[in-house]
Amino acid sequence: MKELAIELKDVSVSYLHNKRGIYSIKDFILKGGLFSPFEHKKVLNDINLKIYKGESLGIVGRNGEGKSTLLRTIAGIIIPDKGTCKVSIEISPLLALGAGLELELTGLENIKIYMALSGRYDKNTIKDLIDKVSEFSELSMEQLKMPVKMYSTGMLARLAFSTVMTTQPELLMIDEVLAVGDKGFQEKCKKRIHQVKDAGATVIFVSHNPEEVKEVCERGICLKNGHIICDSTSYDAIKEYNNLFI
Amino acid sequence: MGSKTYLIYFLIYKNLQLKYKHSMLGFVWSFLHPLFYLLVFNFVFSKAFSNIPHYSLFILSALIFWVYFSGSCSQLSLTFIRNSHLIKSLNVRKLLYPLSEQGTELVSFLAGFLLFIFLMIYLGMPINLNLLYIIPIIILFSAFTFSVGLLLGSLNVFFRDIGILWNTLNPALFYLSPIAYSLDIIPQQYLFYFKLNPLYHFFFIIRNVLYEGIAPSPIQSIYCVIITVVSFLLAILVYRKTRNGFISNL
Repeated sequence: MKELAIELKDVSVSYLHNKRGIYSIKDFILKGGLFSPFEHKKVLNDINLKIYKGESLGIVGRNGEGKSTLLRTIAGIIIPDKGTCKVSIEISPLLALGAGLELELTGLENIKIYMALSGRYDKNTIKDLIDKVSEFSELSMEQLKMPVKMYSTGMLARLAFSTVMTTQPELLMIDEVLAVGDKGFQEKCKKRIHQVKDAGATVIFVSHNPEEVKEVCERGICLKNGHIICDSTSYDAIKEYNNLFI
Repeated sequence: MGSKTYLIYFLIYKNLQLKYKHSMLGFVWSFLHPLFYLLVFNFVFSKAFSNIPHYSLFILSALIFWVYFSGSCSQLSLTFIRNSHLIKSLNVRKLLYPLSEQGTELVSFLAGFLLFIFLMIYLGMPINLNLLYIIPIIILFSAFTFSVGLLLGSLNVFFRDIGILWNTLNPALFYLSPIAYSLDIIPQQYLFYFKLNPLYHFFFIIRNVLYEGIAPSPIQSIYCVIITVVSFLLAILVYRKTRNGFISNL
């Protein structure tokens, strides 16, 4: 019997969208925004999804179809308007490009803040952890002492990925970080993802690279207009995804 | 220390780092900034208000709290916007960001305040046990400042001109608050309107302690408590109403 890790029931998420581009009080008055300046734009529509422990799920779909929103809903960052989202395992921070990095601060400071924000900071182990991050990301101590704003995109991804991946998360959510790393680092990341998976973690993986999704995930879903149009193996989901472009 | 404590500590540390990153004088600015104002006011107004004894102390006692108030409010009005990258990727209580911002401002205010105590003693501040009243006043004033800042910060997410509007109105509020003058010069018929300004009541009890060396007036203290509680409840209400919409507007 597989144990349920995440359960979404009839989840709908909509963004408060600014009608007619009202972003200031001037617009608010001039464009008659007094009558409901905001409208709800549906991003996710009655999503029903069960994810079991140890499963690896790939999410594909075109840009703006709600993939990141789905991840954020699972992470508890967005509260759905309708429906429930139950997560019975520990959530690790969302792994997305540049997420949570403070550009003015150094890599080291960012690691510490990230650990504190995700509730894992421990004075005794932090030194160990920094060594691990440095080793995995192949960023030297010297580079880690530089402000993050001087990093290249690939280095940012290395830092973010290594920070999350050096601990053993129960739930790993990856939103297109692999795309910017170089070939060697991509391989290393995939290897690490498999390690984490083998240790029993649940993985949710968003990517536009079909090969990567097939490689990492067994199960796949394809999103369109905020609906799940395919929930099957990752092969079938990719097939559906490719059909979108024909 | 627990993880939460570390978190606030780190956020405050982060804010301080960001605030003084490329400045040589760093912390000293929280002393120099009010000092500069003080010199200007002394120069401009001291003849006009020669009837107020210890005029420099009179200004300074309210001025340092004003600088704390306006600085905090403008920082807090940006707090959610500035931390949008964290809000979008981490499931952390969003209230922590304004809280740590207020903490940051409090730290730099206290650092400046300690230096100002010496200056105020030099300027004729009465030293007695009543001075201890300043501690609860600072706590109360911080809570009030936090409330105003949280209110501005929550609304600023939806309408960015709230922040601009605040910065525009800031000088007006400054001159409408009895900082460089006392209410004696205000004509009787306008007095009521001046007393609608919450800062008036705070400056009243602050001056009781720092300028006159007496215990804060009970009636004014009660006003201040009421003002703080009401503005705090209002700010929390607005924050709770708006927080779920933050992500779509950041």
